[in-house]
Amino acid sequence: MIHSITSKYNKQGLWLLFLMSVFPQHLWTLIFAFRDISWLIDRTNVWDAIGNTSYGMVYAFFESLLIFGILALLGLLTPSRWEVNRRVAFLTLLLFITSIWGMVSQLLYLWNIWLPFPLMQFIASTGRPLVMLYLFSLAVVVPTVSFPVFAFVRWNKTLPTLLDFMDRLTTLSMLYLFFDVIGLIIVVIRNIS
Amino acid sequence: MKKQFNRRDFLKLASLLPLGMAAPRLFQTVQQGQAKNVLVIVFDAWSAYNISLYGYERDTTPNINRLAQRAIRYHNHYAGGDYTTPGTATLLTGVLPWKHRAMLANEEVDEYYTSRNLFSALPNHYRIAYTHNNWANTFLKQFIHDLDEYIATEKLMLASYDNIIKSLFRNDEDLASVGWARNMKISEEGYSYSLLLSHLYEDLQKKKVENLLDLFPRGLPTTGSDNGFLVEQAVGHITARLQAISQPFAGYFHFLPPHYPYHTSKEFTDTFLHDKYKPIEKPVDIFGTHGNKNYPLKRRIYDEYILYCDQEFGRLYNTLEKSGLLDNTYVVLTSDHGESFERGLIAHNIDALYQPVIRIPLMVFEPGRTEGMDVYDNTSAVDIVPTLAHITGASSPDWTEGVVLPPFSTETPDRNINIVRGYHLKDGHDPLTIASLIQVRENYKLHYYYGYDETPGDGVVRLFDVKADPEEMNDLAKVKPETVAEMLSELKAMLKEADAPYRKS
Repeated sequence: MIHSITSKYNKQGLWLLFLMSVFPQHLWTLIFAFRDISWLIDRTNVWDAIGNTSYGMVYAFFESLLIFGILALLGLLTPSRWEVNRRVAFLTLLLFITSIWGMVSQLLYLWNIWLPFPLMQFIASTGRPLVMLYLFSLAVVVPTVSFPVFAFVRWNKTLPTLLDFMDRLTTLSMLYLFFDVIGLIIVVIRNIS
Repeated sequence: MKKQFNRRDFLKLASLLPLGMAAPRLFQTVQQGQAKNVLVIVFDAWSAYNISLYGYERDTTPNINRLAQRAIRYHNHYAGGDYTTPGTATLLTGVLPWKHRAMLANEEVDEYYTSRNLFSALPNHYRIAYTHNNWANTFLKQFIHDLDEYIATEKLMLASYDNIIKSLFRNDEDLASVGWARNMKISEEGYSYSLLLSHLYEDLQKKKVENLLDLFPRGLPTTGSDNGFLVEQAVGHITARLQAISQPFAGYFHFLPPHYPYHTSKEFTDTFLHDKYKPIEKPVDIFGTHGNKNYPLKRRIYDEYILYCDQEFGRLYNTLEKSGLLDNTYVVLTSDHGESFERGLIAHNIDALYQPVIRIPLMVFEPGRTEGMDVYDNTSAVDIVPTLAHITGASSPDWTEGVVLPPFSTETPDRNINIVRGYHLKDGHDPLTIASLIQVRENYKLHYYYGYDETPGDGVVRLFDVKADPEEMNDLAKVKPETVAEMLSELKAMLKEADAPYRKS
């Protein structure tokens, strides 16, 4: 296993993949932890609101680690002829697509957006609503995955554009990791006091 | 002649050792031969307004109605506060929030009361306590040195990942659980901090309890997260423990239902769906934050959850009665606060203190009593501690603000009932800068709100005749200015006195 990993990645590649795993999860955590701050201050106090955000950061760090591990293993399935950067960029692309769908699924619920009523009626009228729902979901999701993957494999410009974008995100990811450290310190203080 | 102390003598003496060790306990039991057991059963967020025994149109408590035919039924009983923290702290200490200072969410009582509480008032009883409610559990942990047996909240919960978080962050378990819930549980608010794992987590959780979901179509009873529980399980454990422990015992058992989320059992789901009950239309209050849209539905599913509580209380009572324990046990059935579905005020922890959120049930099942009794005097949660001390023959706790309840005291209490919802700047050691204060004097109830954005200047005062106008529809503040002035002045004086130690000179 270790041999497979070392043959497909180098240290910089793994670090870049880790930073990319950090980005979407932390961005989302911060947005919603800040959204909860006023609610928590109203119910308890500022220290608890900071504490909740800190727990959020700590949990986000561990989730990022887990996602990084899964992505690194998934990368073993990619063609050996790919360079490390290409492999990491491809895995990042998959992660971002999945993350965007994760965000959309929560936002739809949050903004109270449901399928249009006529469409629901149509799905119900087919007699196999569950199968139809899965088919409908696939019809929406498959193009959002296949088109970027196709672009990545076929168009030469996609890789440098993506790497450039990832390079910019690394700064933000480093900042998020710094927040994780602060969060961890706050969690430790809360648990020893 | 000096007698030799041989091996045989030593063994004889040693055989008496266990008896010697047991003697103090035996002696104590003989001494307290007459002391009765007490059992305090609390159902959380249970409003007297929604109980058929107290005149609610829906038959929400058929079992309790039957059992209460032999109970003392208090019709005008008030909580000390409007949600778990102030309400439970008042019940357990016998003083109001302005004294115990547990006012903000999950706040602890002032250190002075850590050794002055229901359990310390009954020092010769075997004291055992349990609660599903994390905020009430904060108090049990504060009073743990006065408990002979503390049952941890997690013990009677269905297996949940929350317990792992709680044991990992033992010193900060409440907030760690909140953080965990916000991180992983999409279903609570519709979003979670976790983008990907939360979906897997929820699927796992559903799988763990899927065999129980048929019994609870609205979901398992929970503490608001995935930490499901069954009252049946708690009742089973508690009745078994009560039959096993030494007597006299004093038990405090605080069940979470009918607190939100209102997940009743299959048997009671939709019981009131087609009834003709229509709540009285009331104007939206200045503190009202919700429209009136969903009230009938929320009220109905709350009422159906009360049926579940009623069934489980009936089961607990019948089991103890069959065991013979009730021949020697006072059972106190009450709540920590009520629940509101009117005037734009949903549930509890709300600034306006109308009757549904502060008037709670109180019934005392006395051993040997064969006929029921109705008490219409105004009574308060602060009265529970002195009353239990009185009926068990313990010395009268001198710190409480309460009195011994009728009929256990022949004197009619000459006092007013106060209810306090307060905010302080930082912690309990600051004066109340914003507060909702209630005083009930005979048939009048005074509302006094100050410090809120909604109540600029000197605040807002209302007066209702709750006997003639129990729905609090006609504000008499302008019609009875003398009554308002008298009650307000007394309330302010009491607040000033309670806040005095916390005012900076």
